[in-house]
Amino acid sequence: MEVLLGITGKDFTLIAASKAAMRGATILKVSDDKTRQLNKHTLMAFSGEAGDTVQFAEYIQANAQLYSMRNETDLSPSALANFVRGELASSLRSRKPYNVNLLLGGVDPITHKPSLYWLDYLASLASVPYAAHGYAQYYCLSLLDKHHQPDISLERGMELLRLCADELKRRLPIDFKGLVVKAVTKDGIEVMPFDEDEVVKGT
Amino acid sequence: MDTLVARYSRPAYHQNVFSEQEQQDLNDTVPSLKFAMPPVAHPSAWLRAATDDRSNPSCPIKIAHGTTTLAFRFQGGIIVATDSRATAGNWIASQTVKKVIEINSDLLGTMAGGAADCQYWLAWLGMQCRLHELRHKRRISVAAASKILANLVYQYKGMGLSMGTMCAGVTKEEGAALYYIDSDGTRLAGDLFCVGSGQTFAYGVLDSEYRWDLTTEEALELGSRSILAATHRDAYSGGFINLYHVKETGWEKHGFTDTNPVFWKTKLEKGEFSNVTSNFD
Amino acid sequence: MASGYDRALSVFSPDGHVFQVEYAGEAVKRGTCAVGVKGTDVVVLGCEKRSAMKLQDTRITPSKIGLLDTHVCLAFAGLNADARILVDKARLEAQSHRLNLEDPVTIEYITKYVAGVQQRYTQSGGVRPFGISTLVVGFDKGSEQPRLYQTEPSGIYSAWKANAIGRSSKTVREFLERNYKEDMDREATVRLAIKSLLEVVQTGAKNIEIAIMAPGKPVEMLPVEDIENYVKNIEQEKQEEAAKKKTGRTPGTGAAAILTRGTQGESSEQ
Repeated sequence: MEVLLGITGKDFTLIAASKAAMRGATILKVSDDKTRQLNKHTLMAFSGEAGDTVQFAEYIQANAQLYSMRNETDLSPSALANFVRGELASSLRSRKPYNVNLLLGGVDPITHKPSLYWLDYLASLASVPYAAHGYAQYYCLSLLDKHHQPDISLERGMELLRLCADELKRRLPIDFKGLVVKAVTKDGIEVMPFDEDEVVKGT
Repeated sequence: MDTLVARYSRPAYHQNVFSEQEQQDLNDTVPSLKFAMPPVAHPSAWLRAATDDRSNPSCPIKIAHGTTTLAFRFQGGIIVATDSRATAGNWIASQTVKKVIEINSDLLGTMAGGAADCQYWLAWLGMQCRLHELRHKRRISVAAASKILANLVYQYKGMGLSMGTMCAGVTKEEGAALYYIDSDGTRLAGDLFCVGSGQTFAYGVLDSEYRWDLTTEEALELGSRSILAATHRDAYSGGFINLYHVKETGWEKHGFTDTNPVFWKTKLEKGEFSNVTSNFD
Repeated sequence: MASGYDRALSVFSPDGHVFQVEYAGEAVKRGTCAVGVKGTDVVVLGCEKRSAMKLQDTRITPSKIGLLDTHVCLAFAGLNADARILVDKARLEAQSHRLNLEDPVTIEYITKYVAGVQQRYTQSGGVRPFGISTLVVGFDKGSEQPRLYQTEPSGIYSAWKANAIGRSSKTVREFLERNYKEDMDREATVRLAIKSLLEVVQTGAKNIEIAIMAPGKPVEMLPVEDIENYVKNIEQEKQEEAAKKKTGRTPGTGAAAILTRGTQGESSEQ
């Protein structure tokens, strides 16, 4: 029951991922970070099969960084999203495909336009204003359909995430130990404070 | 694994000077390992059918599985503790297994899952660590050591490896570092882990009394008591308590203690385990 | 000339030479000069730039100084095209190291890797050695200690306080030997690097490139105006010194080097 959420706004992309690392019936870690920074303004969050997730994400990260070193310029979020899609597509047709779902968010280094890409293990790629993976989709997408506007501020974006997190805490049967939230803006990537210990009452 | 990028990134020059294999041999810091595979169409499926005693209790090969192991970071370093029982199905194969594997004088690994897998690959890891030391002229970080193992088991993912292991060590650069690695390829850094069939029982005791500022004596006692709890409730854990303390100067062994006297001492002196009684009324 | 012992690469001559490797050393000597100087808390790379042709776009012509990773810088002398391949391999290794060891490479490690690649190309069939020497500089993660290494076509690598490679490197190295001081600050280190290059570069600031590395910071390419200021300053100092001596000898110590340079002007190497 991993949670991945992404929201774009006027000049930012927010990405949130649950902090629990589970194996069987045990939560092994409550401060897991399911995101990797690909370059100065691109961030990728991942969920899926244990092992595959981190291996794939770090492989993409290494290639993105290698590109930046070789060419003295960063790939744009859209270029990276299409690269990742290509890698997933060739993996899908290999002997042992990566079972990984991703959200890739970023801000274009030149136009400063925020973007968010939704990818799944079948190598679908979609550019979307807001997105979720896993069970979070069922709870949060309706919320975001109602409240999201394309030109919202970062503060409003955080409010929406809090709204989503509260609903998940209320309805998801398994504790996902809160969210790590990172904001991508033209100045880079920043970890956002996100209150964790708040108890949400169900009805 | 350091060939990961090389293997997956598209060659920058189509006319490669060296053949793939030559390149591999020249680049490889890790000697290429080749194992004989069983002569069947799907080795991993065949292995599963032959060894999975949960779905097939009369399977021909029973792999040693049940265990309790734990490790936690605290103010004074890292405590590593395990039981010592090896079981194959319902059969207790041994009561004196060393489940803490001394990778080298500063690094410890723990053993849960297939005993042979853990023993072999942790010994192999010891070799890689020594080679790293010789090549880089300094001790390997725990992060790097654990990643070598994680990358290795990931290469064998789905082929029947069964391991749940922890790597513990203290280095000047990282401080006390503890990693959990399993045969799925998961690798996590953390403060506290319990692994094996008795993990839940150990977590129960450990979580309730764990603090960062535990003294070394308290920490050793807590580690030992957590294993005792697991050996009491988990049929697949038992034997002796194997206790280690890892510091920057290396690890220190704190005994291989029979659980029976420890159990009775705990019960009689502290009044715990009140479920065990000699009254029949 | 060498009775066939320079035809196949991995063949020794009877007196123990591998001629192709030695010829690679010659290619290095024809390349433009590069210097590296360590200060107390910086390390500086300086390069002679080949004077550009009238229509060449110098703004986007690749530089002889390249980054291997954010904390490692490399300058080379010799065949430009060979260097590109070598630098690319080193960059891949630097990222691979980060991926597998979760730590950036140490300067020594990446130097050893570069030298290792160069060595491999002296002992394999169907290939030719890299016609380049390199200077590798930077700071290891969490360290304040500047590092400077040199690699050669044979695959030798060595550590230095200050060194020069390429055309007239002997002149520059001797200059560095005479003028190197322990405990140089950033200013003095940059100045020494430029001054040593001026021994062999006659056209001044516009043909010099300077890269400065400090611990934990990205590489800094010194702007041309700053280099010009240093050059002016150095020239002025030289004139004053010459005036003081009043021995009637012509000023400028680099005269001999400039002369030799003129004779090899048309080479295509950089």
